[in-house]
Order: sequence, then C-alpha cells, then structure tokens
Amino acid sequence: MMESGLENQIFQPGDVLAHATPDVLANHLPPDLLSRVLQASLAAGSMTPERVLETVTPELLARHLPHEVLWACIAAAAARAGVTNTVVS
Amino acid sequence: MHRGGGGARWGDEHGGVMNLKAFFVASLQTALDLSIATPEDILKHVTPDVLATYLPRPLWARLFTACLGAPKVDAQLVVETIGVPNLCEHVPAQLIWACIADIGNRSLGKQVDEEPLVLAPKSLTPPPPPGSSRSKPLTAPPPDVIEKPALVTPSKLGPNIPAPSTMPAGTGTSSLADIVAELEAEGSRDERSITPPSRVRTPTQQRFRQSQTGGGGIGRLAQNNPRRPQAGIPSVTPARTARRGETEVEAGEGEPETSVGRGEDWRSSIAVEEEQLVEWQASEETLTTTDDLETRKR
Repeated sequence: MMESGLENQIFQPGDVLAHATPDVLANHLPPDLLSRVLQASLAAGSMTPERVLETVTPELLARHLPHEVLWACIAAAAARAGVTNTVVS
Repeated sequence: MHRGGGGARWGDEHGGVMNLKAFFVASLQTALDLSIATPEDILKHVTPDVLATYLPRPLWARLFTACLGAPKVDAQLVVETIGVPNLCEHVPAQLIWACIADIGNRSLGKQVDEEPLVLAPKSLTPPPPPGSSRSKPLTAPPPDVIEKPALVTPSKLGPNIPAPSTMPAGTGTSSLADIVAELEAEGSRDERSITPPSRVRTPTQQRFRQSQTGGGGIGRLAQNNPRRPQAGIPSVTPARTARRGETEVEAGEGEPETSVGRGEDWRSSIAVEEEQLVEWQASEETLTTTDDLETRKR
C-alpha cells in the first residue's frame, strides 16, 4: 500500500515523513538503516524526504515502523482526497 | 591544548579521579574552536555506523530533525547537532582518542593514517577475567538424589507388638487338619446349635493401619501396597454347612431307623402315667353337644 500510494501519488514522501517523524524513525529503524540514511545525506549534502525514502524504502518502512503510523499516513491521504470523511491526524 | 591549572597535581587536588571524558570534551571543543580540527576529523572515526551503534535514539531523532530542516547536511551540522559532550559521552574513548591523536599528529606535521579506526563489534558477553581459567557451568548443579525410603515391612509394627503370626492363637503348632478335626468333633456334639466357630480370632493384622505419608499413594491406592482389599467374612461359615451336609449325607445313605418299621408295639414303649392324662370330659368348656354343632353349621 505504501509503495502503491507513492507510485500513484496518493501521498508524497513529505506526507510519509509527516507521520514517520524523525522521532519515529530514530526509535524504530535499525542502526544500519540509520547509518545509511546519514551517509546518504552527508554524501548528497542534504537530507530530503525523497532521499530518506530512497534509503528507507516502503518495504523497509512496513517492516520496521508501526503499522498504525503507516495507516495514519494512508488514511490522511484518503481524507485529503475526499474519499472518506474521517480526518486522521 | 595546554590549559591553565593543569599538571600532574591537578587531579590530586580535585579528588584524584581521572576524568577522561571531560578531558576529551575540552580537547576536541578547543580544537574545533581554534580551527585546529574540523568536524570532518571527528566524523572520520566517528562514522555514521559508529553513531548508529552508540548514539541514543533521542539524539538520532534530534539529528534527523536537524538534517531534514537544514538546507545543507554536512559534518558540521552533525557535530553541532549532537554536540561534543554527547559524542564524548557515548562514543568509545578509543575512537575519540583516535580523533585527538590525528589532530595532534597533523598539527605536529607527522603522518596521519587515513584509515579510520575500526573497533571490534560489541560483544554481549564480556570475556572471562584472566584469573578464572576454570569455566563454571551456567546451570546449577543437579540436586542431591533423594532416595526413596524402603517400605516398612508389616512384620515389625512396633517395639512391643509381636509379629503377626499365621497360626491361630492358643493352638500352638496345630495345623489346619487339626482344626478341621476339632470342628468336626464339635459339630457332631451339637449339630443344630448355631454357635460361632470355635476358632479363636487370630490377630493377624493390625486393624487400623498406620498412616503412611510416604510416596506411592495413600492407603490402598498406594502402588507398592501389597495388600489387597478384603471382603467381609460371612457370619455363617461354609465349613459349618459342609459338616452338616456330611451328616445329612450319612443319614441319607440309609433309611432312618424308626421303631415303626420294626413292627414293635410302640405304644407300649412310651410310658405314660395316668396322672399325666387330662380328664377333659369333665370340663364343661370343652364339652360339645350335637346341638351346638348343628347351630354352628347353620
């Protein structure tokens, strides 16, 4: 679902990181992923949501992050699109 | 890197405790402030892998937040975000010292190794101390074997209680045949009298068993209990019937001897005196007439 939502532009990488906050990433990602994110950002000179999601792919997000966080991202995108009346923060 | 107030006696005057981390913080912070060192010098040894291994997650969250909000992510941002005190607090001292050593050697014009220092991965189980060459098992030794006490034989019930004997009391060494012969003789004397058997009750077993709390169960449910449930003894013993049967068989072998069969005058054999006769004809109560009989028939 996360991968499909990104491919179909249901939500953007910034929307993902609006729910998968740095605190969530820092507390749930394994150390090697944290290192790779920082290495990529240092190598590129910046840390953007797109670059973060290039390293932490949707598959890795689904594997390590709580599903409630990912579902909140999906539900919020659905609320923005007007599919549902439920507003998910 | 020389600070006032330092020296060999400085630590003694402040309690004598070597504060290595404070020394590292002061050295690195001063080197950065004086542009002797750069943040890249620190990140040369304190790599993202090292940070990922040793840095606490709240500091990682702070770093991510700073990196995502900063237009440029570089070593200076990382070092400033984490802070030199936090780096010296969490990163192993060998790595911090490697940073300081490189800065010092370069400042002195010496050759600096380009390769970062790599530490061995952290081991969850510390190596055994050098003095303990003998390895101890992790598990506790097995407990001592508790031997099951042997079952108490019923022969010894107590210090003053004699052992139960299968012989009837008072009969000495009489055998079963003697007992049968005695019973037959007694039965011949009084056939019809239903008397309890003349055998004396034999104190074979203790009536109430001692409570045994040992293993194997309780009472008759015990697995090692050799005793079996016993049915109650009927009041009339079959041996007594057998004796009577034998007598009846003996009597049945021939016709019972009666005086009728002999043809004798049995009336004369019974002597009845006249005084024993009742003069019932003189009694009015027993006098019945023919009239009475007729009225009764009606």
